[in-house]
Amino acid sequence: MVNSDGQLYTIEGFAAALIMLISAYLVVNATSIYTPGDTHISDMQLEVMGSDALHMMNTAPNGTTESPLQSIVENDDGIEFGALFNSTVNNRTGPDKDHIQFMANVSYVRLTDQSVNSSPLYLSRPLHGDEHAVHVSEWMIVNKKYPDDIKRNRTVLVEVFLWRD
Amino acid sequence: MAGLNDDAQWIVLMGFLVSFSLFFLAMILNQSVVVGQTTAEAVSEFPKEDIRGVRSVIIESYMKGMPDTASDPSVTNVQNDIRILSLSRQNSIVYFPPKTTIGDYTYIDIHYNNGVTAYNETWRSP
Repeated sequence: MVNSDGQLYTIEGFAAALIMLISAYLVVNATSIYTPGDTHISDMQLEVMGSDALHMMNTAPNGTTESPLQSIVENDDGIEFGALFNSTVNNRTGPDKDHIQFMANVSYVRLTDQSVNSSPLYLSRPLHGDEHAVHVSEWMIVNKKYPDDIKRNRTVLVEVFLWRD
Repeated sequence: MAGLNDDAQWIVLMGFLVSFSLFFLAMILNQSVVVGQTTAEAVSEFPKEDIRGVRSVIIESYMKGMPDTASDPSVTNVQNDIRILSLSRQNSIVYFPPKTTIGDYTYIDIHYNNGVTAYNETWRSP
């Protein structure tokens, strides 16, 4: 056998390697936590855009008293809603379009038993459940006849799910 | 260090210094991430658009000039709808007592509460 003068070097090397590994592990681990702040920024942006679009559609053009969204709900005109909302959220400055899909419902209260009903308004693509959708809504007072009722002033809530695919 | 000679002790010292500062930096980064998380949660939890919407529809229900008589209780119906819809579709309780008129101005009290955020306002007509 040769002498064992190098034993301490080996132990020191081991200790140093361990310290480096632990440091690297701690540092990498500390910086790679996913936060809602990172993942939800695009959601919040989509939410703002959707509610802005609904606000805009619920604004009456100059000189009229009824907004486009109000007449859409009063006439159950889902096709018009799809066209208007689609052009509002998906048009860009350039020729290429965004790929936002959406589903819209109208919620109202049935006066006979005070229950809340939702009727579909428009569906640009069927929901499968794996979309990362955000929810926006817009309040409106409309003059509309609902089933089992006469035509009168009612409050409805237009609710839209929108997601990018 | 392995007992050969002690000439380079200061190198070991510097090594210690560097590793300690690395640990401190890691700790600060760790803390800042947690701060970002709570802030982001608070922001995404705050029902900004819900409050805006319910506030404007309550004001509209009073100020639109709809009739509120026995034969046409439009205001009562519309406001009843607002309470039920906001409870069932937005998980929030809204309460608004009848408007009061003092002098030239109309005042509307609006109370909103969804269990996390409470919002109270006395709106005055312009």
